[in-house]
Amino acid sequence: MGLAKFLIKRLLQGVVVTWGVVTVVFFLRYLTPGDPTATLLPPDAGPEVRQRLRENLGLDQPLYVQYYDYITDLVVLDFGESMSSGREVAGLVASRLPATIELAVAATFVAVVLAIPLGVISARRRREPVDYGATLFSLIGISTPNFWLGVMLIIFVGVHVDVIPTTGRQMGLRTALFALSNGSASELGQWAAQLVLPAITLGTYFTALITRLTRSGMLEELGQSYVTACRAKGLPETLTLYKHVLRNTLIPIVTVLGLQLGTLIGGAVITETVFAWPGLGRFLITSINNRDWTSIQGTIIVIGVGFVLINIVVDSLYAYLDPRVTAE
Amino acid sequence: MISERVKRSLSREFKGSRLAQLGVVLVLLLFLVATFAPFLALHDPTTTRIGTGGTEDLSELPPLGFSYTEQRVTPSGSETVEITARQTFPLGTNALGQDIYSRLLYGARVSLLVGLLGALLATAIGVPYGLVAGYFGDRIDDTLMRGADVMLAFPSLVLAIALVGVFRDSDVHTTTVPDPFVHAARSDIVPNVLIPRAAHVAEMPASFTFPVTVTLVVALVNWVWFARVARGEAMSVRAEEFIKAARSAGASDWRILRQHVLPNSLTPIIVLATIQVAAIILLESALSFLGFSGTDLTWGADISDGRSDQRSYWWIATMPGLAIVLAVIGVNLLGDWLRDALDPSIEGEGGV
Repeated sequence: MGLAKFLIKRLLQGVVVTWGVVTVVFFLRYLTPGDPTATLLPPDAGPEVRQRLRENLGLDQPLYVQYYDYITDLVVLDFGESMSSGREVAGLVASRLPATIELAVAATFVAVVLAIPLGVISARRRREPVDYGATLFSLIGISTPNFWLGVMLIIFVGVHVDVIPTTGRQMGLRTALFALSNGSASELGQWAAQLVLPAITLGTYFTALITRLTRSGMLEELGQSYVTACRAKGLPETLTLYKHVLRNTLIPIVTVLGLQLGTLIGGAVITETVFAWPGLGRFLITSINNRDWTSIQGTIIVIGVGFVLINIVVDSLYAYLDPRVTAE
Repeated sequence: MISERVKRSLSREFKGSRLAQLGVVLVLLLFLVATFAPFLALHDPTTTRIGTGGTEDLSELPPLGFSYTEQRVTPSGSETVEITARQTFPLGTNALGQDIYSRLLYGARVSLLVGLLGALLATAIGVPYGLVAGYFGDRIDDTLMRGADVMLAFPSLVLAIALVGVFRDSDVHTTTVPDPFVHAARSDIVPNVLIPRAAHVAEMPASFTFPVTVTLVVALVNWVWFARVARGEAMSVRAEEFIKAARSAGASDWRILRQHVLPNSLTPIIVLATIQVAAIILLESALSFLGFSGTDLTWGADISDGRSDQRSYWWIATMPGLAIVLAVIGVNLLGDWLRDALDPSIEGEGGV
């Protein structure tokens, strides 16, 4: 089976899973106890008003009609109107997406840049102080709740360092880049500064996890005979480590990262809450507190489908790194 | 049921690893603290001391070894007061004047109970599901595992938040569990001389709130991991000779699954269950931090309290977080120990 065929199969699976996600989200709403119109109307609204609203929302239709309408709307990206603000959910979700993506990418960047060298050094200097330090760090890192880390960073770092804002997002990357193109670089600095604490908060768990994986993977690979061959032919140690050993170690790392992406997205939800970061996660929490079902559905669908897409990308990357995957 | 060989490798791994020993100590401590909270607590964790009705204002006391100054408005103007720690509130108090140390002990109950029951429930759902999928294979496997894929498509915290949001308004959101020690100390059924510090225990809360919805939700979110592991095990066990032998002797599929496949899949399931307890404690703390748990006597809720307070009262959010970290490190180390001793081949990650 070639790479193309593998990708097509994977995409088809993705479509089936997406359909499942959408269906689960549809039925979630019907598990909710209580009348959905209760949250939309004042308590003293009369039964006729209530009935009219039910008709307007299509809630008087049989379930399969509602399901059909829901799916056909979703296909054209119509998530309905927010029950609390009356605005289009699609627009609300889209406006919050960049903040979440910036945060997730920054955290992944922090994790990869720190963890891989740390894991390599730790494996290279096994049972030396640097290895014990890295092991301790990764143990604490995977055991620390990220929301608490965020709160600690705000209390102990944020208030003492004026350059780093502790809450909110003053500007997006687009604004910062626009300012840069007009010759002003300070916006880009501000943009980066506001990301520092949230990115550390979200990235620490992953830094710890990848350090652990890199270290154990490297240790396993270092025992292989090709390493001896590389060293015997006089290849510089750095080249042996980073080009040959690390590359083979990357395969299990990518697998685990793919499985753990859900934790990253879930972590983003709570990190956004701690830092008042106006992304999808904070929007989800606000919507749940407002019992705004259309917004909850829209957000969860976007997160679920985004997650399915990322996993397809990870699997393709995996297939590229390890051609054996496609040869089923 | 535990073979000699297993005992030997557990003890060899335990003696050789300081981290395994630390893990066992931390987990034992967690169990002791959670069970005997009424004996160890210095105060009722819910008693507030905000200085109303002529009582002394003991809110925001610092932990032992710390002090701070504060401007207080008095009838004659304002004065600077130094707030110092008190022996009877070793870890300080929160904005309501509740004793943080006692709250940590009671918070351990919720974390541990949700962690254990959640993991147990997730095992009960996921293991049969995975074993059936892996044992029968083909169409049954495909159908069941596509279902599991849909569950995996939701990030666990997002799914948990959505489910808690759904069930938050239902009647069984929380339940109150009576505290047997406190009841014994208050009644005459057990002679009070048999209960250490009976008078003290009698003043503790008679019951604590257990978050039912959160426990169900963490199980519903995490059972898929058990299904995946159980499926993998069932697939490899099913090819073994002794399964064929059992089948040719006329054993039914149900009997083979229960008598042969399940016992031979247990090791990785036990290791996973241990690690899942840690994951569930973290998930529970996140949900109670967000205010979805239905009880405020939890570590997560206490962190949330400390966050909304002024930043100078750093200990309010710091202490419960340290408790979570220690508990989760303990359970993770216990899991590492079991994994290294029982099945070094599970999931690549090697310990020290």
